[in-house]
Amino acid sequence: MSRISLVVDGNRYVAEITDSALLLDVLREQAGATGVREGCGVGACGACTVLVDGVSVSSCLALAERYDGARITTASGLPADDEVVESFVECGATQCGYCIPGFVMMAHELLTENPEPDKEDVVRHLDGNICRCGTYAEIRRAVLAAAEKRRAR
Amino acid sequence: MLDQRSSENPADNTTSPASPGLSAVGSRRRRVDPAGRVRGRVTHVGDVDPGSTSTAHVALHRSTRPHARIRSVEVDEALAIDGVQAVVTGADLYAALGEHVLTGPAFQDQPAMAYDRVRYVGEPVAAVIATDLATARAATESVHVDYEDLEAVYDVDDALTGRAFVHDELRPSAVFGDLRHLNGVRDTNVNYEFRLARGDTDAVETAATGVQRRFWCPPTHHVPMELPCTVAWVEGNRLEMLTTTQTPSYVRQTVADMLRLPLSDVQVRTRPLGGSFGSKMYDRLEPLAAAIAWVLRRKVRVVASREEAFLLTTRHGARVTSAMRADADGDLVAATADIIYDTGAYADVGPRITGKSGMVASGPYRIPNVSIRSRCVYSNKPSAGPFRGFGVPQVTWSHESLIDELARRTGEDPYAYRRRHLLREGDVAAMGTVMHSADFTGCLDAVAEAVDWANPPERGEGRWRRGQGIAVGVKAVLTPTVSNAVLQLNQDASASLLISTVEMGQGSDTIMAQIVAEVLRIDSHRVHVVPADTDVTPYDTITAGSRSTYHTGNAVRLVAEQMRERLLALAAEQSGVPAGELRLTEEGISGSGHPEPLRVEDVVLRHFRARGTTLTCASNFTTDWVPYDRNTGQSAKVTEHWFAGAVAVRAAVDTWTGRIRLEHLAVSGDVGKAINPFLVEQQLSGAAITGIGHALFDELVLDQGQFVNGTLLDYQLPSLGDMPDRLTPIIVESPHRTGPFGAKGVGETGILAVAPAIANALRDAVGVRLTELPLTAERVLNAIERKRAEESPQESRQQSPQESQEGNQ
Amino acid sequence: MTMLHRPESLDEACMLLAELDDAQVYGGGTAIEILRRQGILFTEDLVDVSRIPELRAVETGPDGVRAGAMVPVRRMETDPAIRRAVPLAARTYGHVANPRVRNTATVGGNVAHGDYRLDPPTALLVLDATIEARSVRGPRSLAVREFFTGFQETALEHDEVITAITVPAQPTDAVGRFVKMSSLSANDWPSASAAALLTTEDGRRTLHLGLGALAPVPVHLSLDVSGMPTERAVSEAMAAAEPLMDPIPDVRGSSDYKRRLGLVAVREAATDVCEERTHA
Repeated sequence: MSRISLVVDGNRYVAEITDSALLLDVLREQAGATGVREGCGVGACGACTVLVDGVSVSSCLALAERYDGARITTASGLPADDEVVESFVECGATQCGYCIPGFVMMAHELLTENPEPDKEDVVRHLDGNICRCGTYAEIRRAVLAAAEKRRAR
Repeated sequence: MLDQRSSENPADNTTSPASPGLSAVGSRRRRVDPAGRVRGRVTHVGDVDPGSTSTAHVALHRSTRPHARIRSVEVDEALAIDGVQAVVTGADLYAALGEHVLTGPAFQDQPAMAYDRVRYVGEPVAAVIATDLATARAATESVHVDYEDLEAVYDVDDALTGRAFVHDELRPSAVFGDLRHLNGVRDTNVNYEFRLARGDTDAVETAATGVQRRFWCPPTHHVPMELPCTVAWVEGNRLEMLTTTQTPSYVRQTVADMLRLPLSDVQVRTRPLGGSFGSKMYDRLEPLAAAIAWVLRRKVRVVASREEAFLLTTRHGARVTSAMRADADGDLVAATADIIYDTGAYADVGPRITGKSGMVASGPYRIPNVSIRSRCVYSNKPSAGPFRGFGVPQVTWSHESLIDELARRTGEDPYAYRRRHLLREGDVAAMGTVMHSADFTGCLDAVAEAVDWANPPERGEGRWRRGQGIAVGVKAVLTPTVSNAVLQLNQDASASLLISTVEMGQGSDTIMAQIVAEVLRIDSHRVHVVPADTDVTPYDTITAGSRSTYHTGNAVRLVAEQMRERLLALAAEQSGVPAGELRLTEEGISGSGHPEPLRVEDVVLRHFRARGTTLTCASNFTTDWVPYDRNTGQSAKVTEHWFAGAVAVRAAVDTWTGRIRLEHLAVSGDVGKAINPFLVEQQLSGAAITGIGHALFDELVLDQGQFVNGTLLDYQLPSLGDMPDRLTPIIVESPHRTGPFGAKGVGETGILAVAPAIANALRDAVGVRLTELPLTAERVLNAIERKRAEESPQESRQQSPQESQEGNQ
Repeated sequence: MTMLHRPESLDEACMLLAELDDAQVYGGGTAIEILRRQGILFTEDLVDVSRIPELRAVETGPDGVRAGAMVPVRRMETDPAIRRAVPLAARTYGHVANPRVRNTATVGGNVAHGDYRLDPPTALLVLDATIEARSVRGPRSLAVREFFTGFQETALEHDEVITAITVPAQPTDAVGRFVKMSSLSANDWPSASAAALLTTEDGRRTLHLGLGALAPVPVHLSLDVSGMPTERAVSEAMAAAEPLMDPIPDVRGSSDYKRRLGLVAVREAATDVCEERTHA
């Protein structure tokens, strides 16, 4: 067992963990970040995506111990006027919504790297995420809308 | 990729034309708590205390054998592990609960955990209870089972012709009364057989053209992104649980039966589901969690990993051997189908699927002579149950491939050929029921127009070939069923609606609020729908089969109308104006002599003389049917209503790799009336995307009863890169005379015709007819090569030798 | 119980690997976590090399790129200097799994995994990269062309840790192309992949090919295509590649089908480099 500290959505947490603990479980069980969700456990669906210092990470494949001191952002912690969140809401880009926070985090990373993505850029960056309700058209529209919204601000 | 009609008209909070300001019926209002969904703040069952230390975490030791007798289960090694608190075996549960440990909607055949015999690889045999999930999971490796192997049934051929039987005898459950005659039947794997006979297919010898094929749809999995999770505990002498289920009322009854408790002593609660598509229904984790909690008197939490979720249920693999024949004028004269649904180790609702899907196996066509046999068979594989479409996509695959081939054989355009044979309003379908509010031609016309059917793509000559395909589907809504609704009008003129419909992404919470709003003339955002809780929300058959909008929607409409009458009566009392002269409007209650409307808030306040009070009404909506005749499948009313859906596709085929690229897919559905058009479009396109997976690559592969691809690294699901270049969902509205505001359901409509439409486009593009799903690139390429080899170089692309032969049958 | 060892120097890491019975170097961990979950990897001692600063270094120059073993796959894809020096490698790294996994997975772990379907080895083979490894016995270099020895097997000793990969600079007049083909869903593992590089030296045109997912190990071949028109060069390339293909049949396709996809991949990649098309 060891102790790590994490800053999750701006709040500092201390967690007791085993050596094999996954970041996903620590975030959910010890930091209350239940918007970070398990879908596959093998990095193939994206439901557990968080940003670590702005970079997307599959928290189901990440050993918690290695993230001691990391600044972690989840969809719940995005600012009130976040363009990506707003665009997802406006474009109706959710059905059950379970996977959507993961798409939101991937969209954030994409827009940081590429403020003017085209449709293919969005597909390339978000293609590793699964929405089983099939909200893909709305999601893609939302990401492009968020880019536009950012540029306008 | 997107050509949704909604592209310029996304979800919004603007109002319906009919009810300005209310976001009521017809409004494209956003679903409940959209920002909460986007941010992950909507709480699912698994999010409630995931790491709780006061809850015992359960992990399951699973069978490694497809079919075996359990000689003994050794648990001492597991019990010695630090953090392990108990190990409960199937035999322990059987000792405590006896035969009641067996549950199931059609047959009482499924043990909470195997106790004497295992029937599939992955069946739970023992449960390890530990302080945390990781410890419990690791300790399952330390449970050892001694098996005596039995001969296994791996596929439908084994099931029908082999000497091994998955169950010693059939044991109908108390849930479906019409299966009673099967009680005690032995030495068979066929647990249900449906027969339909109309006219005389044998007499149709003179048919000029016929097509016969054998079709296969493989088993698939729903893979909702949320993992199944159940938390169960004992409170006093009550069993309470929070669980991921589409069927809280069913689970309550099942647990009450299992533990021999009155219904009042079982509480089943749900949270919004992270998708389900039929996977979280009937007996999944719930009987097991309840039994363990009851035996140990402990709060237990069971969550399935993704790999385990694959074992909980699947979609039926189905073989359909079928034929369609036409006379010299090209008129359809006969259709036959022999269908076998592989239901795996436990029947689940396999028998229902077998009957309800078998009866539409000849498609939505006018055919005078129809003969269908549909059978449900056991095998030593994970149980198959309902999946968006309830077995109908499997038969649609057959009839829409056959009629397409028949159209080509008779030299007619596949769209026009279907159109002239489709059932119209008032026609009697093959099972004897009259069609109403099922606009097949409207659906077909809409998709044909969307893909510009009249101007087909250039087929091309090089690497890429292009084609177009079309298909139509029909499905009956689940009937008979029961829905109830309780409505509390709060004194501030907001409302709380108590129903047991489970929100799982389909948007039921949103549209039920819109129905209440329409009747009570309040903003639908002021209507809260209470999540299903069997202590609080009234009985509702299930949230499935596209039934909720119609059935629960009607109960909700009725309860809101009752509430409106109640309000008018109170206002009449208070104002002295007769209730008949009062009207409920957005401004309040007004009558001819009262220019100043009475506010609802004031009416309720005056009535109770207290703030924060509630007015309560309750209502019921029940549908009935005429059970079909056991020999002919005929019924004057087999269902309350029909779903009609169509799909048209433009596809390009890579003749180097066999890959199919979807350039445009249009999907239409007759929904009667769209309560929320935006959500209806999402249901249509979402179902179509699932259907695209089923058409092109989605398949559970088993080897000797063991999953080969039961992880998301190997199991194939559509992602953004698999989307068609354009996807057009189209709403068709042919109002239903008894639907709430004319509405029917929509959840399954969009999936029915996807696979055959794509296969028909493939046929159009390169001249090959595939009968096995999925249409993998390898299958497509092999078919193209076979065709090339069969044809002499100078021969035209018209007909393969095989096809000409069949044409003479 | 899993023990995570977190050495802060290479020497310390090598000592641990030498001392522990059955230790596993833990790089990005994306493959290891999956193998552990699937019950394929049981090792309890994990040697996490993420705290060793030198493993994160990237050096780029006229000779090429030297990337420390712990450099994320994603950096190989996005770093402008790497993209300039070895464009084919950078593009190929950009096809691994998805961006999340690329952010975590590492250059060293990727090759150590030894999976025959991985994308980067195809380009590394073509570019004749070198793998540097260390153990208590000292450092050694291994040509990537000799690194993959069998199905899920590499030339790495059990007590060795990869320290860096050196990729020689891609000649500025060379043309590279990577083609990846899946047989089921678009985002699936490849059923065939091919990296192609056309180099010109003293008037001699050489076509180098690296094949992924088409045999139990990634495969490399080179052929002289001097003076050949595109069509001829491509058919020679396909003819040379075909006998080297020995695909493993699985749910994604039969051996025969994968071979045919492989030929299409070779055809596309070879055609594009001969026609000087380099699009990703």
